[in-house]
Amino acid sequence: MRKLALALAVLAGAGCGGPAGGGDSDDHPTVFGASSLTDVLPKIDPDATYNFAGSDDLAAQIQQGAPADVFAAASPKYPDELYGDGKVDKPVVFATNKLVLIVPKANPAGIHSVNDLRGRDVKLVVGAAGVPVGDYTRTLLDDMGATDVLDQVVSEEDDVKGVVGKVALGEADAGFVYVTDVEPVAEKVTAIQLPTSAQAQIRYEIAVVESAPHHDAAHAFVEEVLGADGRSALSAAGFGLP
Amino acid sequence: MRRRPFDVLLAVSVGLVLAFLLLPLLALFLRIAPRDLLSQLTSEVAVDALVVSLKTSLIAHAAVLLVGTPAAYLLATRRFRGRSLMLTLVELPLVLPPAVAGIALFAAFGRAGLLGDTLDAAGISIPFTQTAVVFAVVFVSSPFYVRLGVSAFEAVDPRLLEASRTLGAGPSRTFFRVALPLAGGGLSAASALAFARGLGEFGATIMFAGSLQGVTQTLPLAIYAQLDLDFDVALALGAFLVVVSVAVLLTVKLLPSWTRFTSISLGPSARFDSS
Repeated sequence: MRKLALALAVLAGAGCGGPAGGGDSDDHPTVFGASSLTDVLPKIDPDATYNFAGSDDLAAQIQQGAPADVFAAASPKYPDELYGDGKVDKPVVFATNKLVLIVPKANPAGIHSVNDLRGRDVKLVVGAAGVPVGDYTRTLLDDMGATDVLDQVVSEEDDVKGVVGKVALGEADAGFVYVTDVEPVAEKVTAIQLPTSAQAQIRYEIAVVESAPHHDAAHAFVEEVLGADGRSALSAAGFGLP
Repeated sequence: MRRRPFDVLLAVSVGLVLAFLLLPLLALFLRIAPRDLLSQLTSEVAVDALVVSLKTSLIAHAAVLLVGTPAAYLLATRRFRGRSLMLTLVELPLVLPPAVAGIALFAAFGRAGLLGDTLDAAGISIPFTQTAVVFAVVFVSSPFYVRLGVSAFEAVDPRLLEASRTLGAGPSRTFFRVALPLAGGGLSAASALAFARGLGEFGATIMFAGSLQGVTQTLPLAIYAQLDLDFDVALALGAFLVVVSVAVLLTVKLLPSWTRFTSISLGPSARFDSS
């Protein structure tokens, strides 16, 4: 029985894999960040340990007890839920974003607006329902009265990078992504702006995890993101500021 | 008496290995009540994923058996230049990370891929379809079947094939009436393991076929998609796949001729990662 308990303890320690980090790097927090923050957060703090994924996956990991210090999400939904469960401190809005429609540079399906998505054999890729970018996409299409274009969806991706990748490869004809995802693949895709009136408010929230192993470093990281350096880096990456 | 500490060390190692491997699987079942498990398995997402997985796996498996069996027979019974190179090439996908398989399938059969224009001219589009799922499954499961199939045919006493021929049976008659029945146990085991590997395919599928409920979302993709939406459905699907895997293993172990066969065939394949 004691052996089993030991094995359990080992498993609990190693269970969350990758970004768990050692206890020795006291001043470097482990940051769970939304995929869309992959490029910008390391510019603000290159020394932190990062785990980038869909905000919903990260929230599930934190809910399951992953040793995260900071949670930076692409939606208020998940930080607010975790806050309600007492898993994170009060979340703060630190950036805003908006959606664009991207098509491959060659634009094989000849798409110039959301209306063109209704064409035959258009291969549209979107985020899955429940993933922030997927939920925002559905809200936007709903506001535009264009939910029927969802019939053209050939894949529902688990995070925004999946959408960007499949369009940038030229395999999908179009996809809805954040405007901040376009810059890294600007040579491969064209971005089509969407009506401002239909844009949902996309707010990014950041929070210190209640059981943060590096509590002080976590607070320092959040201060940095909210501070002048953080704001200019976010702005340079195309994010809006609150 | 001096060997006792060593024996204890060995026993502890076995205990640790088993505990580490079985604990997560056991925990999966402890996390969800049997009644909930069944009700989650009848949810729409789960049923759709079951249907997609079953359909694509069966089509893929039929193709693997149909082409893989004669290929394994040739590689096992003929000696020619380049044979060992061919065997190594067949094994390559076994050690390849699944994500590489996904991007490689795009590079070959994608719209912007090597055969993209040819397929396009023929009006065929493969990515994001059930055909793409079948491609991904065949790509990762056929090496298992062919490699283990070669071992199965190699285990057949060549003198029996010789005798068949000297008694006047043609090559195809020898294959169907002598080689195939004698290698049957090993081939069935190879078939079961390849099927299980195909059923669990994840990385290549999510890249090359995408994930769309009722079309390309297989069981493993549904587990991934449901992880954050409905953890209980993910748990139930996971538990279901464990049960299927146990059934496959039991089938393999209970096949009579497999027992004398394991020492030959599991040697090279045991280290292959089936993630």
